[in-house]
Amino acid sequence: MDSNPGEVPLTPLWGKRSFFRLPFIVAKDLFQARHLLRLLVKRDLTGRYSRAYLGYTWAILEPLLLAIVYTFLFTILLGSNDPLYSVKIIIGIIGWQLFARSVTTSTRSISSSINLFQFARIPKTVFATSSVLTNYVLALISLSCLIPFFFIHDLSLSFQTLLVPVWLILICFTGWVIGLMLAPLACKVPDVINLVNFLVRAGFFLSPVMWTYDMFDKRFGEGWHSVLAHMNPTVVPITGMRDAILGESTAIPSYGYLMCFSIAICGYILGSIIFERKAHRAVVNV
Amino acid sequence: MTTVMEIQNLTLEYPVPRKYRKEKFKPSGVRNISLEVKKGEVLGIIGRNGSGKSTLLKMMAGVFPPDSGSIAIRGSVSLLAGVGVGFHKDLTGRENAYLYGALMGRTQNEIDGLIDEIQAFAELEHHFDRPLRTYSSGMKSRLGISVATAFNPDLLLIDEVLGVGDASFREKSKKQVRKMIEKSGAVVIVSHSLGLLKEICDRIIVLENGNIVYKGNPDVAVETYLQL
Repeated sequence: MDSNPGEVPLTPLWGKRSFFRLPFIVAKDLFQARHLLRLLVKRDLTGRYSRAYLGYTWAILEPLLLAIVYTFLFTILLGSNDPLYSVKIIIGIIGWQLFARSVTTSTRSISSSINLFQFARIPKTVFATSSVLTNYVLALISLSCLIPFFFIHDLSLSFQTLLVPVWLILICFTGWVIGLMLAPLACKVPDVINLVNFLVRAGFFLSPVMWTYDMFDKRFGEGWHSVLAHMNPTVVPITGMRDAILGESTAIPSYGYLMCFSIAICGYILGSIIFERKAHRAVVNV
Repeated sequence: MTTVMEIQNLTLEYPVPRKYRKEKFKPSGVRNISLEVKKGEVLGIIGRNGSGKSTLLKMMAGVFPPDSGSIAIRGSVSLLAGVGVGFHKDLTGRENAYLYGALMGRTQNEIDGLIDEIQAFAELEHHFDRPLRTYSSGMKSRLGISVATAFNPDLLLIDEVLGVGDASFREKSKKQVRKMIEKSGAVVIVSHSLGLLKEICDRIIVLENGNIVYKGNPDVAVETYLQL
């Protein structure tokens, strides 16, 4: 190889990368691509409700309207007597929608963005990440639909309320890592996207959206049911959000928190390794 | 002369869709390609449709990974293909220019420094700050080619992007690409415009079914291609 002294050396485009360094490489790539990430989030936010007359109001109306329907079903038809039930449902819907959208958009991030990474070598994780960040911003906007309930139920803001964005980050992070694991496979086998859509719909009933942690605890108590329930990565964050907003304190066992954070961290390690090892080749299938 | 890109025994086979497996249909990838691109060189690639030209360019840009073989690059590389792909109708021309530039791997500072030049070349005037959905298709093409040709990487890959816009804009685009060729370290260009390739290329490679069948003198390469 001929080169002049002082010139940059020839660098392999597809050099070997250590298995264990991949999670750090994904984080570094995303940090370096933050400008692109910001532009993609802006594009997604601009486009989301651009044709609607009510614009971003829809981000607030969606959980509010759904909550009205569910509250009607449970309060009037089934006789629930919890005055805060509708607030709990809205919080559950916001948390669940963020998780569901994070999983589905990340899973199809490669196939839906194929046209966008053909100009240069940019990290493919930016497309999954930008869609998840867009959903995060929309979830924060949705939270404003809770403002009237603070006056109706005489709720007050506390230091604990600051934890709400943190729980939302944990929810979308977990959804993102699940999407990273599935995205390469979804390129090869498009049925994966249909399967994920189905599982997300089914998962709605298995997550604390219409039921609360206390309801589950009263009915099943401790035991294998509880361990199984905590394997759902939305149980602890949604309950945490409800506690943070309503100023309550649910007795979640320490293994519940441990499982929730372990799923997020192990999911990131596994998701970044699978994505970086498989996504580049998967692009050829699209 | 310094080597800008070195390719050794590059191979990529596309997966055969299940419904075609019983037939002897095989999508063309690239097979056992070896070549070097030197600084200051303009390398042309010609071949029939499906011969692997675009696949090779995408592999050179680092978009597709090889099944086997290696690619090494000195400096930056970007690919001009599908002008206007990635534009969003609700963003303004300016916002789309920033997004397109970032998708080409450029930093905010680099785009900041070139945004006035992009606006002037696209001849969009006050439309530049209006949403893309108000643009005609010609205006979109002008914006696309303007952003795409604004940056000068060490290796520029061009895949058939010179046929957009009206006749005068096409001529202007060709002039701009020639300017880029002068400014860039090296250029690899895929085109069906054999006259243009003969005029600007130092070497041309002819691809057939993913293999190089000729590499060298542009006149001989075009003759070889026409006899395929």
